[in-house]
Amino acid sequence: MFDMLFAGFGSVMTLQIIMLIAAGVALGLVFGSIPGLTATMAVAICLPITYGMDPIAGMSLLMGLYIGGVSGGLIPAILLKLPGTPSSIATTFDGYPMAQNGEAGKAFNYAIVSSFLGGLLSIIVLIMIAPPLGRVALQFGPFEFFAIVIFSLTLIASLSGDSLPKGIMAGLLGISFAMVGAAPIDAFPRFTYGFTDMNAGFNLLPVLIGLFALSEIFISAEKKVKKGLNAKLSKVNYKVSIKEYVAQGWNFLRSSLIGLGIGILPGIGGGTSNIISYVAAKSSSKKPEEFGKGNPAGVVASEASNNAAVGGALVPLISLGIPGDTVTAMLLGGLVLHGLQPGPLLMQNSGDVVYGIFAALLIANVFMILFLFMGMKGFIRLLSIPQHILYPIILALCVVGAFGVNNRLFDVGALLFFGVLGYLMIKFGFPLTPLVLGFILGPLLETNLRRGLMLSQGDFMPFLTSPIAAAFLLVAAASVVFAIYSNHKKKKGTSVLNV
Amino acid sequence: MKSVLKKTLFGSVLATSILFLGACGGDGASEDANAGNDPAADYPSGPITVVVPAGAGGDTDLNTRIMAKYLEKELDTNIVVSNVTGSGGATGTQTVLDAKPDGQTVLAFHNSMLLNNVFGLTDYTYDEFKMAGVGVLDQSNTFLTSPDSKFQDIPSLIEYAKANPGEVTMATEIGSMTYIQTLQFQEQTGVEFNIVDIGGAADKIAALLGGRVDIVPTSLGLVSGYIESGDMVPLGVMAEERLEGAPDVPTFKEEGVDIVIDKIFYWGFDPETPDAYVEKFSNAMENVVANEEYQQEIEDSWLSPTFLDQEATNAKLEEINASYQEAYDNSEQ
Repeated sequence: MFDMLFAGFGSVMTLQIIMLIAAGVALGLVFGSIPGLTATMAVAICLPITYGMDPIAGMSLLMGLYIGGVSGGLIPAILLKLPGTPSSIATTFDGYPMAQNGEAGKAFNYAIVSSFLGGLLSIIVLIMIAPPLGRVALQFGPFEFFAIVIFSLTLIASLSGDSLPKGIMAGLLGISFAMVGAAPIDAFPRFTYGFTDMNAGFNLLPVLIGLFALSEIFISAEKKVKKGLNAKLSKVNYKVSIKEYVAQGWNFLRSSLIGLGIGILPGIGGGTSNIISYVAAKSSSKKPEEFGKGNPAGVVASEASNNAAVGGALVPLISLGIPGDTVTAMLLGGLVLHGLQPGPLLMQNSGDVVYGIFAALLIANVFMILFLFMGMKGFIRLLSIPQHILYPIILALCVVGAFGVNNRLFDVGALLFFGVLGYLMIKFGFPLTPLVLGFILGPLLETNLRRGLMLSQGDFMPFLTSPIAAAFLLVAAASVVFAIYSNHKKKKGTSVLNV
Repeated sequence: MKSVLKKTLFGSVLATSILFLGACGGDGASEDANAGNDPAADYPSGPITVVVPAGAGGDTDLNTRIMAKYLEKELDTNIVVSNVTGSGGATGTQTVLDAKPDGQTVLAFHNSMLLNNVFGLTDYTYDEFKMAGVGVLDQSNTFLTSPDSKFQDIPSLIEYAKANPGEVTMATEIGSMTYIQTLQFQEQTGVEFNIVDIGGAADKIAALLGGRVDIVPTSLGLVSGYIESGDMVPLGVMAEERLEGAPDVPTFKEEGVDIVIDKIFYWGFDPETPDAYVEKFSNAMENVVANEEYQQEIEDSWLSPTFLDQEATNAKLEEINASYQEAYDNSEQ
């Protein structure tokens, strides 16, 4: 294996390919950092460019874009409370408060190092044990996915802020919005009110940036013009001691494993893994009340898991030819176009390309940490741009991004709608994350329930008799009971466990 | 450092804007008829947008991009592929009907549009478009099973399914080509499958490898790796004759089931587009299909580079539509 890996490094260690990887990472970071542009778009735009290259060069560029695109989201998440991609939603929870406390540099240090290590761990797992792990992923069918989604939805309880009922309402609202448009499986149009534009439903990206980015811009438009954060910038604290990193060791490992595990399961992806890791870090912390106020553990959890999901998503792609998310679906197309045959024989028949891809991933991960550290001080300077100049630019980028999803003006309208909705929700004290979680998970829930019932010919029992499904449903039930219990306790004014 | 960052930022924003401008450029095209003899002399008047109602990276997308690459040279213009996904392709097809009929927006799609109409999801079908032609046929539609299943060929499948009605699990995507193939197979042989929705090609592959379903209908080209590795066994292809690339796989016809299905990848314009423009586009497609490099690229993915002109495309679509309608009507009875 190691000789293959060395050969892989040999094949990518040309000036041209190294430049391609570096350019890919840089462009990916830009796409990831601008709300509205994502890793998926970066890969979609560059895929045709790779057609003229040889397979290893082409795939190396795409790997750079993938790593950069997933990592770039941490920049606006920390600085502006805008998740650049769905993978960095949870980074905003503690990264932004840290920046507001004058600890933007520290937040970046934690986020960048966690991204690097999370990515590295998952790439190593990918190289060492992709085939057996891929076989494990095959064991997950509709029954198992349904149970996992049910479990993930119970996390809403921990993301509800002060009011559990409001959190649940937001979650249900998210599931309802996901039902607009052609239904899964039979494609029957629902809640479209006769508008053909509504048939495709709402796209995740306009929903996400509308809720988080636009609402934030509206909120700040209410306030008096601020001159930026110059005063606090002068005493920015960058240093994170080794001791502080070591203290995050277990949190980092747990979050990476969650990211890896969720990344391997086709269809769930980084958008959910960062939230699950965040909740896991919070509920296992001795001081959960510090989360949401600038606890570095929240940043570490989110960023380690979303980069670990990259290696995870590549496991079923490389070992079985099955894509785990939208980016890997496009990478699959790239492999086919370069004349490679994805599937169980890819490693055997085109080992040179596969190990070239592994080497490119490791190099891209190094470029990612280099670029982010080099750019860090520059990013933080963004905060000194007065908001009345910065926010209109971001607004314009959001609109371009929403349009770019499908080249339709409808998505821009949806963006504005969700922006206003997000604004109203903040005003009335409703949490936003449960809505996004419900929106992402709702269709998965429905699709897998209906597919499961088709497989079992209408029998509900397999949802309980499949060992994996049963285990997740049990954990889900326990988590609901726990949430109700702690909510009850909180109301009585005793110790707060689950904020 | 800051300036480097700014440059990258600026550069990429610029690149993106150019891409978007390119995608929108078609709208500004002039419609003035040229005074000369050739009514299509002024066509194309700018970059052409190809709407692909399927995601980037799939077979529809890849076939379109290969054709677009060669068409750029033939028509001497930029061709921008725009993936408009949603509601089984209906969102993308609608986009083309909504665009200006100036020949700068073209649809590249396949049989699914007919199915959307047959299943009542859209109120228009192929005859709503002015077809330019077809450049690729996929004749490798197949049924796959796992090596340890109880049937390894079509006759034993029919025998087993007849003895155990509703027990053989067939993985499809409701309303897609594989679904109608399944209906046709049931109709012809009198068997009854347990038809389940599993999702797209990748989900079907995972379901078969994971042992959750008995049969997966898909294209041979998408699964040749699994056949080579012995993880999947093809039961037959729905082609007129055995495929050159897979001489060991019998046709459905040989096995006594008369199903021949061609997935055709056609290009079509808004009905009000001037005839001369569509004709010019059609001629360009014919030249591309005659190009040996193009043929090689298409054959590499187990497909057949075949040109059908405007008339032949319409005839072929009519034939396919009739067979779909029949299969649907029979299943409703």
